[in-house]
Amino acid sequence: MQVSPSPSPACWSCHAATDGAHFCPACGKIQPLASADYFAFFGLPQRLQLDADDLERRYLSLSWKLHPDNFVRADQFERDLSLELSSQLNDAYRTLRDPVSRVEYLLARLGVRKEGQTRQQAPPELLEEVFELNESLEELHMAREAGGDGDETAELRRRLEEAGRGFEKKLADVDAELAAASRDLDAAMDGARDPLLARLNEILNRRSYIRNLVANVARELQEGEPA
Amino acid sequence: MAYSDKVIDHYKNPRNVGSMPKSDPQVGTGMVGAPECGDVMRLQIKVNPETQVIEDAKFKTFGCGSAIASSSLATEWVKGKTVEDALQIKNTDIVRELSLPPVKIHCSVLAEDAIKAAIGDWKRKRAESESQPEASTAAAQGD
Ligand code: FES
Repeated sequence: MQVSPSPSPACWSCHAATDGAHFCPACGKIQPLASADYFAFFGLPQRLQLDADDLERRYLSLSWKLHPDNFVRADQFERDLSLELSSQLNDAYRTLRDPVSRVEYLLARLGVRKEGQTRQQAPPELLEEVFELNESLEELHMAREAGGDGDETAELRRRLEEAGRGFEKKLADVDAELAAASRDLDAAMDGARDPLLARLNEILNRRSYIRNLVANVARELQEGEPA
Repeated sequence: MAYSDKVIDHYKNPRNVGSMPKSDPQVGTGMVGAPECGDVMRLQIKVNPETQVIEDAKFKTFGCGSAIASSSLATEWVKGKTVEDALQIKNTDIVRELSLPPVKIHCSVLAEDAIKAAIGDWKRKRAESESQPEASTAAAQGD
């Protein structure tokens, strides 16, 4: 659990206005979390395109400032804040650093993406393809378990590798689509955002099938056990 | 995650795993996926054209234990029902029967969607064959 956002943006110690900063601009004391939003945590607007180097700089600077080592002699309240803000910082950084989880995060925050509510179906050709590849994976797995003869396994392996390359290519394509749609969203006026958010959601859904397959193929080729 | 006994039973002894020829006019095929997790399910039904009763059902699921159990249960339930009755099966019925926890509801939704998709496919095929009693020149229309 995180500290609930403070009701008023005033410093708990000296009562100066903090404007949502992590440290009071007047007395320098560490402040409770002002907003649960990951973008806001870094002082960034909710935009999907962000400069990775800039984000990293913000992360490093904050992680240095918020680090619990700086608070060993502070009172319990401040020590707790340092721990909570540091953990929020790490979650926020991990989420925003990756362009895909960044989109997932924003859509979830805006209520576009909800567990169990996405009922739109992927295109049938994609499902068909996903299904067939899963069948080849299963065949390979069973042939292995049966200690099948070398030729057959080699052929299955070859097919899998080929399929795996196809799916990696698809994953790259879908990532490019996601990047383009992210740019469009950042550029869009308020009124034009809804269709773009829906589109981002559709791309993410398609991506999850492909990502699953790439992972399954990789696992099977490494002769691991499928989940 | 603790699975209920019924889920484990269907998972270990799935009923009606397999496939039927897609091109068979009596067979309807539903292929669906769960975008949340990327799992896929295929459910097929074989319908008696006179009585509209589902005489056989097969499934194949690449997904979690709950999805396998949901689709296994779905094939058991649709067998012997008319197409219209089978359409009444709701994912909430599956959730109740298998005691699925909230995070696994989408797995049961997948099974309901698969039943609907299979029936939809069968109906489409039948409508097509009725509108083209003889081999017709318009056979290559898109849908
Ligand atoms: S977790 Fe994907 S269908 Fe169950």
